[in-house]
Amino acid sequence: MAMLSFEKKYRVRGGTLVGGDLFDFWVGPFYVGFFGVTTAFFSLLGTVLILWGASQGPTWSPWAINIAPPDLKYGLALAPLAEGGLWQIITVCALGAFGSWALREVEICRKLGMGYHVPVAFSVAILAYFTLVVIRPVLMGAWGHGFPYGIFSHLDWVSNVGYQYLHFHYNPAHMLAVTFFFTTTFALSLHGALVLSSTNPKPGEIVKTPEHEDTFFRDIIGYSVGTLGIHRLGLFLAIAAVLFSALCIVISGPFWTRGWPEWWSWWLNLPIWSQWPLN
Amino acid sequence: MAQYLNLFTTVQATGPLQHGVPLGPGNSPRSVEPFFSYWAGKLGNAQLGPIYLGGLGLASIICGVFAITIIGMNMLASVNWNPVQFVRQLFWLSLEPPPPSYGLSMPPLNQGGWWLIVGVFLTASMFLWWARTYRRARELGMGTHIPWAFAAAIWLYLVLGLFRPILMGSWGEAVPYGIFSHLDWTAAFSLRYGNLFYNPFHALSIAFLYGSVLLFAMHGATILAVGRYGGEREIEQIVDRGTASERAALFWRWTMGFNATMESIHRWAWWFAVLCPLTGGIGILLTGTAVDNWYLWAVKHHVAPPYPDVFPAVTDPALSSGAKP
Amino acid sequence: MNRAKTLRSTLMALLAVGTALLLAGCERPPMESVQHGFRGTGMVQVYNPRALEAKVEANELPVSLPPASDEGPRAAKAYQNVKVLGDLSVGQFTRLMASMTAWIAPNEGCGYCHNVANFADDSKYTKVVARRMIEMTQHINADWKNHVADTGVTCWTCHRGQPVPNAIWFKANHQPQGSNFIGDKSGQNEPHPAVNLSTLPNDPFTPFLLEAKPIRVGGNTALPSGNRASIKQAEWTYGLMVHFSQSLGVNCTYCHNTQNFSKWEGGPPQRVTAWHGIRMARDLNAAYMEPLTEVFPAHRKGELGDVAKLNCATCHQGAYKPLHGQSMLKGFPELSKPAAASTVTAAAEAKK
Repeated sequence: MAMLSFEKKYRVRGGTLVGGDLFDFWVGPFYVGFFGVTTAFFSLLGTVLILWGASQGPTWSPWAINIAPPDLKYGLALAPLAEGGLWQIITVCALGAFGSWALREVEICRKLGMGYHVPVAFSVAILAYFTLVVIRPVLMGAWGHGFPYGIFSHLDWVSNVGYQYLHFHYNPAHMLAVTFFFTTTFALSLHGALVLSSTNPKPGEIVKTPEHEDTFFRDIIGYSVGTLGIHRLGLFLAIAAVLFSALCIVISGPFWTRGWPEWWSWWLNLPIWSQWPLN
Repeated sequence: MAQYLNLFTTVQATGPLQHGVPLGPGNSPRSVEPFFSYWAGKLGNAQLGPIYLGGLGLASIICGVFAITIIGMNMLASVNWNPVQFVRQLFWLSLEPPPPSYGLSMPPLNQGGWWLIVGVFLTASMFLWWARTYRRARELGMGTHIPWAFAAAIWLYLVLGLFRPILMGSWGEAVPYGIFSHLDWTAAFSLRYGNLFYNPFHALSIAFLYGSVLLFAMHGATILAVGRYGGEREIEQIVDRGTASERAALFWRWTMGFNATMESIHRWAWWFAVLCPLTGGIGILLTGTAVDNWYLWAVKHHVAPPYPDVFPAVTDPALSSGAKP
Repeated sequence: MNRAKTLRSTLMALLAVGTALLLAGCERPPMESVQHGFRGTGMVQVYNPRALEAKVEANELPVSLPPASDEGPRAAKAYQNVKVLGDLSVGQFTRLMASMTAWIAPNEGCGYCHNVANFADDSKYTKVVARRMIEMTQHINADWKNHVADTGVTCWTCHRGQPVPNAIWFKANHQPQGSNFIGDKSGQNEPHPAVNLSTLPNDPFTPFLLEAKPIRVGGNTALPSGNRASIKQAEWTYGLMVHFSQSLGVNCTYCHNTQNFSKWEGGPPQRVTAWHGIRMARDLNAAYMEPLTEVFPAHRKGELGDVAKLNCATCHQGAYKPLHGQSMLKGFPELSKPAAASTVTAAAEAKK
């Protein structure tokens, strides 16, 4: 059931990392695998715990539910369940689920004879989450530095942590990350549009070729990165955005405690400027 | 075991220089003799050039250069024409919009007049460039998806610099031309309007921004992963599905239960990327006009999270003293 | 193959150097953090213990002279031209004078304010200023308890052993090159230490701590109800707030839950103290500093010929409470008495 017209021939055994043939099957369109089981376990447990945490809170509105990390005073210890311990267990479940998902993707790649680019890219995103809830809290000495699980409450955390540094926009790694975010979105719009413009051409015309795609961009800006290049570029831009984001938050606190605008004083005070008069 | 990761081209095969699909009558000849760049070829195509320099492009560049020159001159003047300080303070320098007291009238040059003139030329430059992308697409017989995506970005630009200032009755509401100063504007905008995180269109826009980055990572990685089957030949795969598209689709189907096709993924991409500035512009436009404090708006609609009180009770001292805040 | 290996190692080396450079511009961990709100809200003060150590040293109290006896003739009778502190004993009076010398002009000595041939003489401007400053100190301690509590201030709080305090401000000269037709900075857009080197407006003191321009910009209702504050005004308020943070060595979450900056209920009580601090600064600048404009010589005034004025940094000097909350007042009760009758009225009216 739920198989695409060409799918049957691809459903072969093999490619598993753990468990051999035991979990090598599909449920509907989903591939299971050993890591599918662990994903289900962690996700289910984590979700149930979130729902339980919500039941102990003042609201059921999905926008306002908040599972908060422990007070800083608990340091790196396990806090009482109702005082942030729940958050800690949910975090373990999240990491378990994300890791399982990535490893499941690896098994699927192996089965389909594909490169591991997707799970590797996903691992970078997991690294960013890991940075926020493990690396930075450990460097700062308390699990309480992690962000709360809640739609709007996690944004309050972002706002307050940002203002801890007076004007977070001046964080140089943040500037790079934001630039990569917007550039990725820009490049994605161009790539999506370019392919669609070739395959959905001017009314009455036939489908165009990669030569047309190249010609369009060369006409507009003098360079076309090409069909392979754009996918490398897109992947690079996206991963750079995530890596610089993780960098920008891990340095805020452990490696910098003042306002971020003040960081730029090293540039303003370079000895080379004093060679010339100020006015 | 070492394998080729398809990230950089190890052996570059150089073919003949491509002079582009021939254009019909009414088009200028292409300029700049193309040449190869080895380092460009490590990532993508090695060929640089040719470029099409038509009337629209030329006019756009002239307007754009004019705008940038005015910005640069103002910045240089603000450091007393000292070129060394210009470089040193570059990120701090800026050209500001008029003070709010001038409303929508033409202010003196040095009190936002230059900013307005730059706005006129920059907008003209953008519209001319948009027309360029439209004309080039049509001349090549291609769809106009790029110009329409560009239009979404222009929408956001116009909201920030034209529509919203007009609705608010003040050019002073618009964004300054400066690296750090436009970041100050962003922070001040959120401070003034009660925390923009609570603006639902801002949230949507961010969802599409992050979603776009997610999608390009997914799509880029997927195509590279099926590179061994010619996955990057997307047009051919769209009209004649090959094993690359099949494996790519099945990867996602088996992972998350559904999948796109080689063509439809580009529609997901286009919409996510275009909806980011589109919804963002709506969010900006509603701020100050329809809503004055987004946090209070969220409270009104029962979506703001409450926190337990941990401080002793605090009330606004201005209310008790009777003095003006 | 070798080329690829060399390329890879070059890139790795570049990455290592780049990271080292980036971190070289940063501080060394570990840091200390203090939670200041509900868990998970991110309202935390982060301190570099090494910087804090230096601050503790800088905020140590000077050694005070032993208290003098209250017996004997009053200073007003024993000396001439004693306009304030006349009701102190000679011993107490002399002790205070010696203390002031140590607090303000340790290297310059009594002659900094006094004509040593005739101590009663008012010819030096410093003596006239000092007299007014004594009145100002008494006024702060008696009438601004909602900001300084019983900790209070003495001359040391601002002067810290120097005739001119470290942190004072003058009105900014926004067009030093004169009024041109191009290049106006609008009072911002340069790296200014007053606003943490950002491009925020860098003289928020004139409108907010000298004049009484409204600081609040946020609305009180979800939908528009007549709030005409502009984004530019928000930048000016932001500049003032950055000054607050720097002056106290704290970040924005010390006073605010930035979920909603305007909201008072449920927020930190420190914000109320700051509210009073703003009014105190305005009062002191308007009633004490500005009227001294003609007394100060030109070399003590700003580019625009205005007198030096105070802001948060003048007392706080980077500490959340000046001198980390240590009080010198107990040893100097004469500085916490309400000022003499004639000056009290003027001060009380200026407080509005």
